[in-house]
Amino acid sequence: MTLTSFKFLLLLPLVVALYHVLPARHRVLFLLLISYAYVCTWSVRGALAMLVATVFAFVVGKFAGNTKSPQRAYVAVFSAVSVLTLYLVFFKLTAALPFGQVGRLAAPIGLSYYTFKLLSYVIDVYWGKLNPARSFQEFAAAIAFFPQITAGPIQRPGSFLAQLPPRNAALWMGLSRLVWGLAKKVLVADNLAPAVNYVFSHVHGLHGSALLVGYYLFPLQMYADFSALTDVALGMGMLFGIQGPENFNRPFTATSISDFWRRWHMSLTNWLADYVFTPLRMATRSAGTAGLVLSITLNMLAVGLWHGFTLGYFVFGLLNAAYLVGDVLTIRRRASFFKANPDLDRAGNWAGWALTLHLFFLAMVFFRARAVSDATWFLAHLGTSLGAFRLDLAQLASAVGSSSLAFGLIGFLVVELAERFRPDQWWRRVEAAGPVWLRWSVRCAIAACVISAFFFLTVRPGSQESAFLYQVF
Amino acid sequence: MPPIDKTAVLQGLTGVFREVFDNPTLNLREEMTAADVENWDSLNHIDLIVAVERKFKIKFTTREVTGLKTVGDLAELTATKVSAVP
Repeated sequence: MTLTSFKFLLLLPLVVALYHVLPARHRVLFLLLISYAYVCTWSVRGALAMLVATVFAFVVGKFAGNTKSPQRAYVAVFSAVSVLTLYLVFFKLTAALPFGQVGRLAAPIGLSYYTFKLLSYVIDVYWGKLNPARSFQEFAAAIAFFPQITAGPIQRPGSFLAQLPPRNAALWMGLSRLVWGLAKKVLVADNLAPAVNYVFSHVHGLHGSALLVGYYLFPLQMYADFSALTDVALGMGMLFGIQGPENFNRPFTATSISDFWRRWHMSLTNWLADYVFTPLRMATRSAGTAGLVLSITLNMLAVGLWHGFTLGYFVFGLLNAAYLVGDVLTIRRRASFFKANPDLDRAGNWAGWALTLHLFFLAMVFFRARAVSDATWFLAHLGTSLGAFRLDLAQLASAVGSSSLAFGLIGFLVVELAERFRPDQWWRRVEAAGPVWLRWSVRCAIAACVISAFFFLTVRPGSQESAFLYQVF
Repeated sequence: MPPIDKTAVLQGLTGVFREVFDNPTLNLREEMTAADVENWDSLNHIDLIVAVERKFKIKFTTREVTGLKTVGDLAELTATKVSAVP
């Protein structure tokens, strides 16, 4: 059952109402039970696997936090990190190997997300940044919290536990974020999806202009889809009084690759920066530039392979590592150049923006293509036979429906404008201290959007219910 | 080594920050975080740490480095380390 399926959205008001009716002392247990029930709708075996991993990390955290011996704490945490990493790698490998079908069936839902939560918990306790969790119930709820379990964002247990018992449910803010996410998914991502799917499943039969459409559209679809799921997860979290971490900060406005990676899938990149890049960089700091290059490369390969152990994700990680190394090693020279030539600064920003987007989009071809050979063929033929572009685009439009494509693109523009002008911040101010008539006008508008969304999702045929792209990790 | 004043450390750190972030006019305050200093991010945080280690002839551990939130935290940790050097 996905977070945006009609069945789930029908149950959600009931779950929220029950949560608020319950005495505060039972709410965490309720969240825990609902979260495990949600995971059980995917797989009971997956829920059991998550429970075992959670108990293991909880016990190790208690031991590492309470023992007087630093050596014992180190051995316990090192063993736990190894076991959890092997647990994650095992399922990623079985999904990638030839007997992959078995692996895919066995891979627990949300594996990549909750394993990272568990890893950060035991390391934070060992580093002394976090006290061991007081109760197993609270800890297990932080790991399994259902809005985040299928696709993040990766909220570190410390951040979740600090909000317990949840006191400040932001119902209207949460609802508006939830509806915004649903709209982004259904009206933008799902309208861009047919064209992307068509191009990437007919790579060898299309001319350069159609491939170009796929090249530019897939990252937009991915962003609309993934950021929508983050909106849904964060909005649902607010309904229960939990604020989660943001995942995106207008990534397509980045003017360099390092800037881009500070804005894209932030909960993952911040996690890797703290637990992979920084320890690696510390260990290799005496090696100078070689240490920096090695740390960046391993970190970006981890970004790629976190999605799965395939050659495509490996190349995606490797390309981004190369971009980032190039960026970091030239940053001083570029800064001095633009300091000496301030009149070129603006042009440099525009050039940096265009280059960043095209480089990232290029790497995304490896992310999306069914095989690396498809991706290289795609890139080699990008822009060939452009003379037939009218015919190609007409063929593409007739295959996928031009209205859905146009609707998706206009929707994407609206999303970009909204993220530029942030009406949600205005709404937050109104909700906090605005006049009553205005607050209730906006609340009525949100309620109307919620009812419309329900209606839309009800009349939507079941076959059109599409999973989020990031649900598979 | 005798205990070192945190203000003296902050003065030493200012020079290091100016050099690492290529900003000759930067003035450090204890409450400053990475968000307040242009170009201070996870990519070059360890470059800064290495420069501080060289300047004060001390060594940090990964655990210490990941726990730093503000310039004041770094100044305090540096002062403690410098004072602990025999």
